[in-house]
Amino acid sequence: MNTFWMQSKAETVRMLRNKYYIFWSLLVPVLFYFLFTNIFIAPREDDGLWNLHYLMSMTTFSIMGSSMMTLGIKIVQEKAEGWTIFLKITPLSQFIYYGAKMVAQTVIHLFSILVIFTAGILINDVSLLFSQWLFCGIWILFGSLPFLALGTIIGTIKKVETASGISNLLYMSMAITGGMWMPIEVFPSFMQQVAKWVPSYHFANGAWEIIRNHYPSFSSYLMIIGYLVLFMVLSTYIGKKREAV
Amino acid sequence: MQTIVELKNVTKEFQQKKAVNDVSFSIKQGEMVAILGANGAGKTTTMRMMLGLMKPTRGTVSLFQKDPKHKEVLERVGGMLQEVSVMDSLKVKELIQLIQSYYQHPLELSSLLELTGLHEEEWNKRTEKLSGGQKRRLNFALALAGNPDLLFLDEPTVGMDVTARENFWRKIKELNKQGKTILFTTHYLQEADEVAERIIMINKGEVVGDGTPEQLKGKLTKPRVRFQEKISYPIDFYRTLPFVVEVQKEKETVTLIATNADQLLKEIFDRQLNIHHIEVKLGRLEEVFSQLMEDTKEVDSNEHLLDAK
Repeated sequence: MNTFWMQSKAETVRMLRNKYYIFWSLLVPVLFYFLFTNIFIAPREDDGLWNLHYLMSMTTFSIMGSSMMTLGIKIVQEKAEGWTIFLKITPLSQFIYYGAKMVAQTVIHLFSILVIFTAGILINDVSLLFSQWLFCGIWILFGSLPFLALGTIIGTIKKVETASGISNLLYMSMAITGGMWMPIEVFPSFMQQVAKWVPSYHFANGAWEIIRNHYPSFSSYLMIIGYLVLFMVLSTYIGKKREAV
Repeated sequence: MQTIVELKNVTKEFQQKKAVNDVSFSIKQGEMVAILGANGAGKTTTMRMMLGLMKPTRGTVSLFQKDPKHKEVLERVGGMLQEVSVMDSLKVKELIQLIQSYYQHPLELSSLLELTGLHEEEWNKRTEKLSGGQKRRLNFALALAGNPDLLFLDEPTVGMDVTARENFWRKIKELNKQGKTILFTTHYLQEADEVAERIIMINKGEVVGDGTPEQLKGKLTKPRVRFQEKISYPIDFYRTLPFVVEVQKEKETVTLIATNADQLLKEIFDRQLNIHHIEVKLGRLEEVFSQLMEDTKEVDSNEHLLDAK
């Protein structure tokens, strides 16, 4: 138990010391939020709702990024530098190694959620019921799971450069197709159909529903769980195949 | 003493090429063993199989009579591997404490910090800011974090300067005196000769010699008798002397390579040869080593061995 606690603590500390995390997962989403709710304003029916909607977009955008990028690239880096090999000759189990990474990610995500929600309150004075804030937070933590699994798939890539390139590409395309940067209603109808099948859309959509006093739809739950299972199976399969060599 | 490392007919193939070929040896508790061989001879592959990082294609490896990956084995083993960096974004002290927490009976923090050889003000330095040599020392301390009974060191002194190397081996000898079994690979012959009590020579994936440095020298090297001639004798004359296998002559300096120096000297004195400045030299391990490498090179010069990394 002590090992698990120490490992989780170390992983959390490492993430908080990561400058890329601070920049990409905290500063960039908050800056985008400020720009798209205060500077580039298109005529809207309901400014208050837009401010909340975009806050959820940016929070999910941030969490999706740290799940895929920080987790995946760190795993690749630790492999490339031989650190994972060293761990294999210590009594540390794979379960604790990955488990602690997941705990650290969750702690960090909670921190990101608090920072970005607070930024929303400070910048645009947005308001929600406490239960809605809470539900949004819980939904976002839950919805991050398939992206963490995707992060472990990225973690099976051999080179840091490849991993960083692929994860960036995936990250940006999922952010756009999922409607995190601009609502999918402005997309052509074909793109709107595509959005319904990408995990990022369902991830953000759950939160968008909550701020509109709805529950996340059944299909969003289904997609999140479906993609989680798919990515976990893929990650295990690729991992096993790599190990066999 | 108990046998704690045992390899039985271990072979490792990579894409049909044999990196390690039918290697068998065992190591008893408290031994200090060098695995000596040129680059690509199969040392690292052998060590990685002993550590359970690679599976042998054929044959078995056991540590403490168990599978190398057994949890009880991992508690008692420490390793310093090649091309292993340290976890970044943690301070030296934090990293040591983390690794300590993996073991049931770790070595105390103060001893481990001392083993790193770092000054107190560097204990709070982030690991990525350490120099290559400092990282290596930290790796060494981490290998000892669990207070292991058996320590594997893969080319531990590569990149260390002379002083660092001396300090390092002094520490290792101390650990060996405390009863720890130590197994290291090296391609520096001198290191194996000076430090190890036993050398296992590996060439082209096969064990070509196994014994104390003295035994290996005795078995593989032949003594030389060298002297100056007062009057010149023909080379063919020296060749007729008993025990002589080779004659080298340069002006009045003659070197006789013999199977038995004592008997040859007796012969020289009995015949009252007109010579002076007689020296007897035992063969140097280095010569044997390079000779061994040469021999096999001639046999199959086309074959390349995979360096297993």
